This record gives sequence, structure tokens and C-alpha cells, in this order.
Amino acid sequence: MKMKVKRSFIAAALCVLCVLSLSLESISISIVGSASSSPTTNQFLGISPQDEKYYKSSEVIKCKDGSKKFSRAQLNDDFCDCPDGTDEPGTSACPAGKFYCRNVGHAPFLIFSSRVNDGICDCCDGSDEYDGQVKCPNTCWEAGKVARDKLKKKISTYQEGVAIRKQEVEQAKIAMAKDEAELSKLQSEEKILKKLVDQLKEQKEQIEKTEEKERLQKEKEEQERKEAEEKANQGKRKIEEEAKQDSSEDLENSDGEVRRTESTYEEKIGILEGSHSSQDTAENHDDLAAKDDHSYTPEHKGSLVESVEQHEEKQKEEPVAISENEFDSGSKVPPDEGEDESEKTESLSREELGRRVASRWTGEDTTKEGEEVDAVKEDTHEEYDGYASETDDDNQKYDDEDVEEVADNDFGEEDHGDSDSSNKYESDTDSDFSDVTTSSTPSWLEKIQKTVRNLLQAVNLFQTPVNQSEAASIRKEYDESSAKLSKISSRISSLTKKLKHDFGPDKEFYSFYDRCFESKQNKYVYKVCPYKQASQVEGHSTTRLGSWDKFEDSYKVMVFANGDKCWNGPDRSLKVRLRCGLKNEVADVDEPSRCEYVALFSTPALCLEEKLKELQHKLVVLNKEEPQGHDEL
Amino acid sequence: MKMEMERQIGIPNRNPAVFVFLLLLVSCQLCSVVSWKKEEFRNCNQTPFCKRARGRKPSSSSFAAHDVSISDGDLTARLVPSDKTLEDQDQIQIKQLILTLSVYQDGILRLRIDEDPKLDPPKKRFEVPDVVMPEFLSKKLWLQRLSTETIGGDASPSSIVYLLDGYEAVLRHDPFEVYVRKKGGNRVVSMNSHGLFDFELLRVKKDGEDWEERFKGHTDTRPFGPQSISFDVSFYDADHVYGIPERATSFALKPTRGPGVEESEPYRLFNLDVFEYIHDSPFGLYGSIPLMISHGKSRGTSGFFWLNAAEMQIDVLGTGWDAESGISLPTSQSRIDTHWMSEAGIVDAFFFVGPGPKDVVRQYTSVTGTPAMPQLFAVAYHQCRWNYRDEEDVEQVDSKFDEHDIPYDVLWLDIEHTDGKRYFTWDRMLFPHPEEMQRKLAAKGRHLVTIVDPHIKRDDSYFLHKEATEKQYYVRDATGKDYDGWCWSGSSSYLDMLRPEIRSWWAEKFSFENYVGSTPSLYIWNDMNEPSVFNGPEVTMPRDALHVEGVEHRELHNAYGYYFHMATADGLVKRGDGRDRPFVLSRAVFAGSQRHGAVWTGDNSADWDHLRVSVPMVLTLGLTGISFSGADVGGFFGNPEPELLVRWYQLGAYYPFFRAHAHHDTKRREPWLFGEKNTERIREAIHTRYMLLPYFYTLFREANTTGVPVIRPLWMEFPSEEATFSNDEAFMIGSSLLVQGIYTEHARHASVYLPGKELWYDTKTGVAYKGGKTYKLDVNEESIPAFQRAGTIIPRKDRFRRSSTQMVNDPYTLVIALNSSQAAEGELYVDDGRSFGFQEGAYIHRRFVFSDGKLTSVNMAPAAPGQNQFSSECVIERIILQGLSTGQKSALIEPANQKAEIELGPLLLHSKKGPTAITIRKPNVRIADDWVIKLF
Repeated sequence: MKMKVKRSFIAAALCVLCVLSLSLESISISIVGSASSSPTTNQFLGISPQDEKYYKSSEVIKCKDGSKKFSRAQLNDDFCDCPDGTDEPGTSACPAGKFYCRNVGHAPFLIFSSRVNDGICDCCDGSDEYDGQVKCPNTCWEAGKVARDKLKKKISTYQEGVAIRKQEVEQAKIAMAKDEAELSKLQSEEKILKKLVDQLKEQKEQIEKTEEKERLQKEKEEQERKEAEEKANQGKRKIEEEAKQDSSEDLENSDGEVRRTESTYEEKIGILEGSHSSQDTAENHDDLAAKDDHSYTPEHKGSLVESVEQHEEKQKEEPVAISENEFDSGSKVPPDEGEDESEKTESLSREELGRRVASRWTGEDTTKEGEEVDAVKEDTHEEYDGYASETDDDNQKYDDEDVEEVADNDFGEEDHGDSDSSNKYESDTDSDFSDVTTSSTPSWLEKIQKTVRNLLQAVNLFQTPVNQSEAASIRKEYDESSAKLSKISSRISSLTKKLKHDFGPDKEFYSFYDRCFESKQNKYVYKVCPYKQASQVEGHSTTRLGSWDKFEDSYKVMVFANGDKCWNGPDRSLKVRLRCGLKNEVADVDEPSRCEYVALFSTPALCLEEKLKELQHKLVVLNKEEPQGHDEL
Repeated sequence: MKMEMERQIGIPNRNPAVFVFLLLLVSCQLCSVVSWKKEEFRNCNQTPFCKRARGRKPSSSSFAAHDVSISDGDLTARLVPSDKTLEDQDQIQIKQLILTLSVYQDGILRLRIDEDPKLDPPKKRFEVPDVVMPEFLSKKLWLQRLSTETIGGDASPSSIVYLLDGYEAVLRHDPFEVYVRKKGGNRVVSMNSHGLFDFELLRVKKDGEDWEERFKGHTDTRPFGPQSISFDVSFYDADHVYGIPERATSFALKPTRGPGVEESEPYRLFNLDVFEYIHDSPFGLYGSIPLMISHGKSRGTSGFFWLNAAEMQIDVLGTGWDAESGISLPTSQSRIDTHWMSEAGIVDAFFFVGPGPKDVVRQYTSVTGTPAMPQLFAVAYHQCRWNYRDEEDVEQVDSKFDEHDIPYDVLWLDIEHTDGKRYFTWDRMLFPHPEEMQRKLAAKGRHLVTIVDPHIKRDDSYFLHKEATEKQYYVRDATGKDYDGWCWSGSSSYLDMLRPEIRSWWAEKFSFENYVGSTPSLYIWNDMNEPSVFNGPEVTMPRDALHVEGVEHRELHNAYGYYFHMATADGLVKRGDGRDRPFVLSRAVFAGSQRHGAVWTGDNSADWDHLRVSVPMVLTLGLTGISFSGADVGGFFGNPEPELLVRWYQLGAYYPFFRAHAHHDTKRREPWLFGEKNTERIREAIHTRYMLLPYFYTLFREANTTGVPVIRPLWMEFPSEEATFSNDEAFMIGSSLLVQGIYTEHARHASVYLPGKELWYDTKTGVAYKGGKTYKLDVNEESIPAFQRAGTIIPRKDRFRRSSTQMVNDPYTLVIALNSSQAAEGELYVDDGRSFGFQEGAYIHRRFVFSDGKLTSVNMAPAAPGQNQFSSECVIERIILQGLSTGQKSALIEPANQKAEIELGPLLLHSKKGPTAITIRKPNVRIADDWVIKLF
């Protein structure tokens, strides 16, 4: 709404008169007619009511851009004097001019002056066509009614939407506070737990050292005993030699000390592998504790990225191998192959050749061009299925390699599966962390703390031989605690990751995290997972349209970028345009430019109160325009 | 088609095959920018006739003219080999040829050489029909007598016939040579001066003879054996030669052989669909016009045209190429020698004496016809893309133009609008209401163009295929079956457009009843008409495919698209009962295509080099008769940077045919997608075109009457200025406007040569520059340099509408740039913009003359007979005077005896803080009337 609408009384009266006295078709004529009967009115054609003063105040008028002056006689004289069109609001003489349509009964608006007397009706009141070439019926009342009804509907949607939005914002605040509280609690727990784990580890190592010492002692004793026996019984040499061999090569090659360090090292690795908690966490704990907790996250993230990259590389490599096979068999030679291709050309069937040449322009897989769609579909599926299983294998490997990443991954994947199950994540979390994060939280930590304290007190480190049951409970406690620690760490990292996102000025998009929205269009299902990714699914095959990038256009657009590559085109991307609606719904996915998708998304999050007020104001204005008594006609 | 498109989109790249495809593609794009598949096409060495002819030594074989006489108003002779190696009388007998020389008005010499029908050749060699204008044939001068003269130290005499005042044609008997000379003096154009003439006669295959030719797995059966023709042509006093489109190369043709020339292919004329052609190559593209024009400072311009539709290869020979030939030609004249080689056909050659550039163009277009007069809308801006997907897309794009106040006249639909590439059909999923869609466009005065290609889907349920099969209208393969090739529609056949009855059958298909979903605002685009055959040799039809009466495809190949274009244009004329001028865009080109519609330079690329080369390409087409041409604005393949796109619009606004187009893999690039600043620049460029529409339309009429192209090389206007001869970065629009393209990124300066002695006025700033100098000018991104020549008057329309349709009644602006004698002249042509009424005189044609402080409007149109009148209420609202030296204050209009004010007004209405110029305010004289405006 660029203009304020305030009509002059004369114009209003005149138009009411028109409406009252004449049929709709003749309105424009009557306006023009009455205008031409009074030259002043004609001269002010195309000028908005609030601008009339500007033109009427003096005989010499300034161009609005200040470049020139013109006389009253030059106003609307069908000759352009001002480059900005000030002098010709009512004619087409100035390219930069704007013509004001009053559109009584509807909303007034400005049109390019090039639309004046061009034979096409632009203003609903027909005022832009007055040279007699065409007759434009006055359609403002109908158009205005339609517009008002539409506006009313929109307003009611907004009203409801604003309420929903308020609720959601409240919920988001609570949810966020909850997440933040959980995070800070987990962080402090992590600290405590880490200390305990460290202590336990120290204990464990001590025990192990002691055990090692004992073992060596035993061996030594054994040896001494043997030596003694040897002396005593020199006749049985052969047996002795065998026994010696049995005992260990290490003893021959190196001293006991070296061997011991090695074994500790191995054990350490073993622990790390088993507990999947990072070595750094344990070792650098003190350093990190001094720093901000967040400093931990980037490092973590870095490793995630790396593993994702590895994963992607794998994805790339394997198809290449397949391709080479196919290439050799000559069934699927891409067009840009230079020499090889030309050599092969001769052995190709005519049809294949035709397809292949065509594919240069289209970029389509040559084997597919022109074939029945169904056949192709099958084809694609077959190939895809094959590939999917490979991907699964990959994931399997991946699982073993990096449990933490998989845990993260799992959240994502499960959530993708379900569109409106907004809180799936939380329920998952609850079950996953039930032992850790439920209301019994203080007790478990305290319990552990207590147990550990007891253990530490009970265990006599310098006691030889080691009390086996004590050692076992230390080990058990250590394993359990470090498993818990790693769960907490991973939860912390996912929470941190979540909270780092931009959820809008009122956190109104908080609930979008871990939610996916689907829309089915023809044979495709489009899946939009804010803060994660968007994809296009056809049967079993999924095309990534992009991963979460950012909000754009002051939270009116969600951008997903760097999707799957497009042949000869850009990487796929998706822009989701948000608009006010009562439900979160994706609609109208479109591909206006190759591999650049656009979707419409209605959500209460966009039902802003200011906008509602604006719409309400607009309606008030429109209603004012409504000629009194029209309904009686 | 929707299915196919979606499928393409839908294929996930996890599909391994696609993945590989991507990887290979990416790697290939990285490894080389050039993806032109050179090895797919034959070079001269792989083309037997070319290799043979190129290997010939000057004077290696020669013929002598015997029995020279006059018959039927022509000079005729027998050509007999004087080759001493041919001892056998029989062989000499067999090698005999018939030569005919005819003379036409305007000094045109026509030379025909064919086999002697009396010697009973295996079949009649192909003569290209329907290219030479019937009117031209009636301009034959019936020769009555010839004179004989022994020239120089010749042992044998020469026969001489009168050509034109001051020009003669000479037939030297032995060795045989034909040339045109100034009366008794200097030569102009000659043929066989180097004895390279050769003519392979058709043969009947004997047992054991193998004439088959193989290339890339394709076999050409060559049932009549080799049948090529070659000869040399020399242009005298020539500094450069031009012409022989279509290729992407410099305007002045560089030598392809001779001392100092790197190994080069000859210029090839063979219509081919070349994928991603490169920007500098002698290789032939979609069209072939065997017309070469020479130009030199001392003599002027001359031309040579060989009407032959078979594959042709032409070498431009660098000076000194014949150093060891022992042939002596007049040494006082500089000379450019060329070598012409064709695979088949006959010699049917035309010599044009000029002497000016416009004379040669006039002479050539008197043979092949002048360019058709387009409808006004076709001269405006066209918006195209492969593909505007559906009706919603069309509506969106259409409304965005209005939203951004950018005019356009035509929206185009590429192949995807059809039902499975069955032309004349619609994909009803995407376009359920084609008539309504067109009506909506038409309501804004806009038009729709749909594509109709020559490949016809071999689908028994497709009406076109069914009918064509039943009527046996298809081209046949060498075995006599309907030729089956692969193109967009998959397995396809091709109509034998050589046959007039098939063309007329085809034309009927465009009637509103036959073309369901078409309305009067729909026009046609013929693509792929080389013809493109994806699985054919060199991506076209096999040379041994058969047309009517046993004509081999090799004989007419280069004209196939021409006949297709002709038939389509005829269809649109028939559709409108002869009252609506057709608009058909064609990609394939042949001599005479100008009569049927517009052409464009095919699938170019979005890079600066292609922007640059579009100018010599369009200039060359114009020089060889095809005035209505342009390149895809923005470049077809690839994504132009915004700056390149803007520059392309700024240049493209001056192409005679102004259309933006893009490949379907490219990003959307409608004018408003690159930020407000760039939208403004593009709007400005398009506005410039609309502003100049009256000028352009007048120039199209000039081309229609004289053949002189809309876009011209500088030397066409300044024939004696050597500095212009190889300038193909700048060009003239008509005789009044010089435009310099900007072809580099981030250009801050441009070097512009302004010819002549008069001033040039920058059209944007009004600044005057003296001619005859090269200027280094500052440039910005807002526009490219353009100058109005002093002494000219350009008519404009300064009001911008949605499309040209709404501008019809808008008033005019005249921009007068006065020369040093305070004089200027210009023309304005106006008609109804649509019908053929102008052919009966229903038009306004004024000549505006300014001299002695008076502007006079003079009628140029003869009084139109009968009812066929055209009138217009349009007035001139503004007259801008540049270079006025005296300080007149007022103007008096006669005969109305009214006064008009003189004031300072803006040079351009739409520029915010633009320069001003002396302006006569609101003279409001009608363009249809005689009047005089006196300044005082």
C-alpha cells in the first residue's frame, strides 16, 4: 500500500452519483463525460487526491525531481516536459509517468502511464482509456467485492493464525528453555562424571599396574623355581627348553618393562574402541573445563564433517567402479567421450546413435530417451535398489566406525520417515536417555558418585595381591560410567547443534527442528525437513534437493542448497516460500528453472500480528471506498 | 513430454549410471571448453572430391571452347578437353560439355555448364529449382551478336558480348576462361583463369567398380560415381572477400591456403546441425549461400554466386599461392583468387559487377529475391526459452514483463509443447487451452510462435505420418524404402519438400482447421531443417537418399531446409487467405531464404566470443541477402554472467531479429532475474529497440525493395574507407546509425572508428565526434556506444507500451543530426504492419529533408490505386535538432500556418538526468501529410 487513500469530496460525490444513476457499463463514459464538461477535472486526470494540491497550488509547477518547471497549461497536454513524468500523470507522454486509478468501489492504484489509452483496460473504473478507442466497463464493484471477500478470508485466517502462532511461540519458549536447562544440566553432569571416570580410570590403571607387577613377580618366582629345579634335575633338558619357549618370546628379546607399556597401550586403545568416548575427552578434560563449553563443539563438528565427507566419497567411488564395467560393455557410453566414442559409433545401432546425439542437447541418459516411461522407471528402480543396498552396507561400516555419528544420524533418518510426528525426536530421546535424563537424574549421578566414592575408599591400591572382586567392580563401574559419559556427550553435542540454529525472532520455528513435511505431487513426494534437508522421493529413489542453508527475505523463505548434482545444471536447490496458514503444509512444489525448485509452505509461524493489522486497515480503507447504498441497487 | 522432463528431473543421481554420466561430463567439461566434435564431421581430406580438387595444380587440365555461337539469345559453346593425355577420341567425346552464357539487366552475367544431353548421360544432373526469381528470367537481354578479338599474346581468339554500359563479358576459347571486364580494360571477376576447372561426368557402374564411400560407419553408395565440379574464381582489385555463410568466423574471409597460411580447412558449405559450434572456424554451420562478394578501395565491389545445393568447399587463396603455376594474369591489378569445389550439380554461376556494395546486393537479390516484408510485431522483441513449460509458466512470464514495464511482442514455445514431438499437436497436460492462452496474449497485442520441425514421428496413429506414408511423400533411402532417421521424435521420416505438391500439402496443414489449437496470432518456427538426423552421417541425411525423380540428396542437401521454410511460409499465407504476412523463423538457410522469413544463427554459447562473432555472422547473412537475422541473445548453451547478458541485450537490440533464447539446462534468465540494476539496463536496451521501431521498419522496407540489408558493414556506407574493410566489431543500422558492440568483461573503454568526414552524435549523450578517426571512449555498463551520422534524420517513437501493437497510434519524434552544410535527410515508411496491402501501394512513405532552415516532408509513395489506401492519424510530437548552428527561436508550420515553440528538451525521454537538445515542441504535423516547418 503505497498510497493513503483520501478522496476529495467532489470526486466521491461525483462517483456516487454515477453509480446511482447509471448502469455499470456507462460509468467510465460518464466519468469521462463529466470530466470533459469541466476542463479542470480533465486536466487533473491521473492525479491522486492527495497530490491535487501540489498541482493546484500555483500556475507554475515544479517537476518533482526538481529538474524543471512547467506551466499549468502544460499539465496533461500530452507532451512530456518533466523527465520524471510530473507534468503528464494523465497521458502516456512520459515513459516514467504514473497514472492514478481511483477505482471507486475497489482499491485505487497507480499504473504505468504507458498503459494510458493503449486500448487495454487496466483500471477497473476504466479511467485509463478515455480516447474513445475502446470502452472499458467499470468492474470495480465486482472486483472490489471479490477483493474484499478475499481479504476478509485472509484476515480470518490471520486472526486464527496469530493465535496459533502465539501458542506455538509460547511452546517454543518452554521447549527451548527445557532444552537449554537440559543442556546446562548435562554439561555439569558431564563435568562430574568425567572426573569420576578419570578417577576410575586411574584406579583401573593402578589395579592393572599392580596386577602386572604381581604377574611379573609370579613369573620371576616361577623362573627362579625352575632354575632351581634345573639345577636339581639337569637330566630333563628337553622338556625345560620347551617350557622356556612356551613362556614368551618377549623375555628373550626384551625386558619386562617394555612389554608392559605395550600392553597398557593396547588396553587403552581397547577401552577407547569399546567405549567410543574420545580419548581427547578424557585427557584434555582439564584444559577444556577451563574454556567455554562451546569450544568443545566445533572440534566435534569438525570430525562429523570429516566422516560425512568420507561417507560421500565412498558413495562416489563405488558407482564409478560400476560405471567402468558398463562402459566396457559399451551399453552406456556417455556422449562426451571423444575418440573412444567415435570409434564406437560405427558399432552402434542406428537408434542408439540417434539417441546419443540427441542426448547432447537434452542431457538425458541416452539409453532412456524415447523409451516407454514405465520401462525406464523400472530400470531406475532396479539400479537404485542395487545401489541402496550398497549404501546400507556403507552405513553398516559406518556404524562400527563411529557410533556417535550414527546416533546422530539415526535421529535424522527416523524423523524423515514421519512427516508430522513433530515430537518423535523427544520421545526417542526419552527412551534413549531414560536412565540418564529422567526425573530420577539426581539419584543416578549421586548413586554413581557414591558407588565410586565407596569403591575408591574400599580399594587398597597398594594391596597385593589385588582383591579380585574389587578390581572387577572398578572395571564394571568404569565401563558403565564412561558409556554414560559418552551418551551425555553426544546428547550435549546434538543439543548444542540444535540450539545454535536460527529459530526466528520469536523462536517461532523452534518446533520445525526435527520435523518433516511432505507433499505429494503427481508421482513425487516432496519432503521438507527444516534445519536438515529437503528431498524428492519417487518410489524407492530419493533425490536430495538440498540441505538446510538459511532463512532469507526476513524469515519468509527457507533455503536448502547444495543438493544432488544436476546434469549440465547447477546443484539442486530448493526455496520454500512461507506464508500464513493454519497448518504447517507444503504445497505447490515447482521447478521454474532447471534443478532450482520452489515450494510454497503455509504455516502459522508467518501469521504476524502487524500483518494482520495491516490487512485489517486495508479492509477498512476498502470498505470506505464502497459507495454507500450500493447494496440497495 | 512432461513425462520425459519429469523423468529427467526425477532421476536421482544415486542411480549409478547417471552418476557416472555426471562425473564423466564434469571431468570432460574441465578438460576442455571446446566440445565441438570435430572428428564427427568430414574434413577435406576425408571428402574425396575435396581432396582431389585441392590436390590439383593450376593449369593441370584445360578445356577449349568450340563452336561458339549465339542461339536463343545466349552465347553457347562446346567445351572440349584440350588435355594432351586424352589421346583417345572417344574419351574426348565423352568429356564434352555444353556452355551457355546469358546476360541479364543490371549487368548480370549467367554462366551455365552441364553435360551434353545429346551424349546421353545416365541421368539429368540436378539444377536447383525455385530459387531464381521468375521476374529475373524476364530480364534477360537477348544477345544478337558477339564480337571476336584476340587478346594479348593469346593463340586463340576470345568472344566478347555486351554486358552493361562500360562492361563486357569475355569468353576466351583456349584455354577456356570466362571473365567480366571494364570495356576493353581491367578485369572485374574471372573464372578458370588458373585452369583448375574440372567436371566429373556421371557414369554407369561397371562390374567390379566400387564407388562406395564410408565414413563413421555410414556407407554412401554413390550409384553414379564421382560427379564433382571445381574451378577457380578471381576477384580483381579486391582487398577482401566476404560472404559464403554460414560459419562463425571473421567478416572479411581469411585465406585458407597459400604462403604463410597455417594448415586450414577450406570454407565449407554444407548445412549441418553442429552441437556447440566454436566461435572461429571455417567449418560450415546450418546454412549455405554460395555467394562471395569482393570489395576493394580502387574498383569497388563485385560478386560471384554459384547456384548449387550440393556440398561445396571454397578455398580463399593467399597471394603467392600460384607462384609456380606459370600462368600470367594482368599484374597491374591486385587480385584475390578462390577455388570452388562442389560434389554434384551443374555450373550455374552469376557474375555481379557492382560497382558499389549496394549495387552487388541489388543485383544478387534481383536473382534470388529481396527479403520479405515482415509484420511489425516480428521486428520487435521476442522472448524464447526451451521451454516455457505450461500455460501457467506462459502466463507468469507474460505478466512479469508487464510488472517490470518491459515490452515484448512474441512468446515462443519450443518442442516440449507438443504431444511427444508430434508437431501440430499440443501436450494437453501442459497446454490444455492453447486457444485461450493465445487469446490472452493477443489481448495485449502479443503473439505466440510454436515450433514445427521437419522430422515426422513414425507413429501410425499420428495423422501426419499416416497421410505422408499413404501418399508416399517421404524421402526414400538408397534401397527405395521410406528413409527412417532419428531425431527429437525418435524414429522419424522426412517429407520430400523438393516436390511442389508436397509443399502445398504441407502448407495446408497450417490452416486453423488442420492445426488444432492455433489461432491467427500464432506463427511458426522451423528448427532442425538442415535436416538434422541424429543417427545420420554427420548428423544429417545420407547423401544417397532419394528425392523425386531420382534426385539424390547430395544434389539438393543445402536447399532442403529452404524448401521446408518456403512450404511453411506458404502455409501461413494460405492460412490468412493471403491477407496476413507470414512469420517463419528458420535455422537452415540457402540462397533465397530471405523471401520466406527470418533466420537465426543457431545454437550459440553464452560466452563473450560468441557475442563477438554474432556480429560478423549477422553481417555476412545480411550481405548475402538474408537481412532478417539475429543470434540468440544471452547465448543458447550455458549460463551468461549478468554482465554478458546485459551486453548481449544491448547489442541484440540492434540485431534485425531480436530474440532471447536459452537451453533447457540453463538457469532462468528472463530480464528481471538479475537484480534491479540489471533489469533496468535490459529494460533500457529493449526500450531502445522499441524506440527505434519506426526506423527499423523503414529499413526493412528498404531491404524489401532494394535488397540492401538492415544491418550493414561500415564499408557498405563508406566504400572507399579502407579502415572499415575488416572492421566487424562495429556496424551500421541503415545509413544513419553506427553501433559498436562491447565484447569484453568489465570494459571501461572502447575503441571506436567513426568513418567519413562528418560529425557523429552519440545517441545517449548527444556529444559530437568528428569522423575519420578512432576514438578511445569511456564506456559504462548502461549502454553500448551508438552514433547518429550527421546529415541524417531518424524517426522514433518515444512512448513505451506493452508491445508494438499498442504503439500504432503513438506520435513520432524526429531526430535530425545536421551536417556541416546544415542539412539532413531521412525516411519514414509506415503501413498497416500486417497485410500485403503495401504491395498495392497501401502505405505511407515520406522523405524528410532539412535544408536552408526548413524541414520538408516529401511524399515518396506513388498514388495508390483504388480502395487500397493506407492512412494514419499519427503526428510528429517532437523534433530534435542536433548541430543547429543558428539560434532560431520559433518555428512556423505550413500550410497550416501555425507556430511551434523551440526549446531545450531531453534527447531521450527515459533517461533521468539526460542531455538536452534543441527541440521543436508539439509541431503535431501528420505523417501522412505534406508540410514544411520553417525555423526563424
